[in-house]
Amino acid sequence: MTDDVQAPPASEPRHLAGDDVGIVQSRDFVHAGPFTFKSGQVIQGFTLRYETYGALNATRDNAVLICHALSGDHHCAGWHSGSDAKPGWWNNLIGPGKAVDTRRFFVICANVLGGCQGSTGPSSADPATGRPYGITFPFVTVRDMVISQKLLLDHLGVAELHAVMGGSMGGMTAMMFAMEYPQFTRRQIIMASTANESAQAIAFNEVGRQAIMQDTAWNNGDYARDGGPRVGLAIARMMAHITYLSDAGMDRKFGRRKRESAGGESYTFDAQFEVESYLRHQGQSFINRFDANSYLYITRAIDQFDPARASGSLEQAFAPVRGESLVVGFTSDWLFPPGQNRAITLALLRAGKRASYAELDTDLGHDSFLLESEALYALVRGFLERNETYVFDFAI
Amino acid sequence: MSRLIEKRTVDMQVIGEWVEPQSRVLDLGCGRGELMDYLVQAKQVSATGVDLDFDRISACVRRGLSAYQGDMTSFMRAFPDRTFDRVICSRTAQELDDPAGVIFEALRVGSAVTVGFVNHGFWKNRLGALFRGRKVRNAVYTTAWHESRPANPLTIADFEDFCAEKSIRVGRRAHLLGDWRTPCPFLPNLFAGYALYDLALA
Repeated sequence: MTDDVQAPPASEPRHLAGDDVGIVQSRDFVHAGPFTFKSGQVIQGFTLRYETYGALNATRDNAVLICHALSGDHHCAGWHSGSDAKPGWWNNLIGPGKAVDTRRFFVICANVLGGCQGSTGPSSADPATGRPYGITFPFVTVRDMVISQKLLLDHLGVAELHAVMGGSMGGMTAMMFAMEYPQFTRRQIIMASTANESAQAIAFNEVGRQAIMQDTAWNNGDYARDGGPRVGLAIARMMAHITYLSDAGMDRKFGRRKRESAGGESYTFDAQFEVESYLRHQGQSFINRFDANSYLYITRAIDQFDPARASGSLEQAFAPVRGESLVVGFTSDWLFPPGQNRAITLALLRAGKRASYAELDTDLGHDSFLLESEALYALVRGFLERNETYVFDFAI
Repeated sequence: MSRLIEKRTVDMQVIGEWVEPQSRVLDLGCGRGELMDYLVQAKQVSATGVDLDFDRISACVRRGLSAYQGDMTSFMRAFPDRTFDRVICSRTAQELDDPAGVIFEALRVGSAVTVGFVNHGFWKNRLGALFRGRKVRNAVYTTAWHESRPANPLTIADFEDFCAEKSIRVGRRAHLLGDWRTPCPFLPNLFAGYALYDLALA
């Protein structure tokens, strides 16, 4: 997920505008007991950092769980302070009166297990040694992310999820929630996602991992908190970032424009084109907020996600699902293209489940699920808010 | 209630009589889901719709219906034989790219297929063509040619010929007069404004 789909803050501080959740605080959920991963490896407890917006109702069934993508985190709406440059990553969608209406729903978002934004992951200290786990951290799967988040939801007293939703890896997480906890999950929204990555998508992840692991500073995952394979991680991010955009979108945003300082013909390898300096900036800002080992673990979890393989077929994998699904594809997404989102929907329908598929025509590539689009908002709101005992009318 | 909406309601009622309660229904060209909504309410069917337009799918989702944005033939190809009890293709037949292809694919994935269409052999349409010398415009086809989607107007006689030629078994027919309500007693190709056919493989 890229950082820049959202509009820059307006001249008036946006957090005071009253149209979003305002200043929010992250909290930590500590699970004190041992946690066994799908791999069989065990850690003695973990922490998930999370945020909530809105309030849980008396029947404890108005919760909407937001699931983030590879490089996202728990901060999906509002502002941490008035001086923040940007709000949470899905602020355009979540807030009072918005598509995910925090006056109506209790919205929860947690940083995934294996992450590096406050949840336990490879950069956390191993209680046995006092040093970061590094690559001794257990292998994480999407299912492990889901099971750990269910413990958080239990802790928060959520009786039933009104909905679970996310884009990209967040869509995989939503799918897994529906399969793993069918009695608990009433609706799922799966955007720009896939039931199993293509060889091309795995290949991109592998190049990113190699960029990290071939950087000598990676040192088999054993590095100081502020050090590590900064060059490798930046390159991994630059390349991945391209896969989140589209040819047309990049052309619209950058074209062949050159930086002002580049002048006319310049015979150097300094960044001349705007797209070059943009990618360099993306790489540099990423290394200040993301851990290289977490990048390895989470991309691996995404690559491994393949419920059809685990169950024999996707229809069988979806057999336990009870809630309704809304799947959304985006025409310019070539990482998890519309066809892979259609495949999820068709398998759900073949399995006899209630599922809808909608496709938005955009040029923002894989990141389109972060799009500021009234059409997308109306779709999400319609799916979340429709009254189950609605009045029949012939309005056309 | 406008005349157009009234006509749509009649269409729903005839189809509703043919649909078995609690059956699995696929609506090709489901629009905003009016028909599916009616069938879910009146017959407790489990309905899925297919349409090409995002806003129509969004409207179906808002009504609580399952709808799939995409091409109807590719959609049907993704399902095994007789997945649905009934496939409905009403008011869409004249706009299909490959009508025979769609109807045969529908006969494969559905145990029964309902096709409904405006009869362009209806006397008013014939007189309109003869005296006005212009494209049909009425309560259903409200737009001028240049604002309309490409259409392949058909008549009851055309459709009967098609079914006979392809050995498609016609279970039931409903030929309705120009009010789309009163059954047409004779010469349907001349006096029926709307036709509904209940098809199955011979």
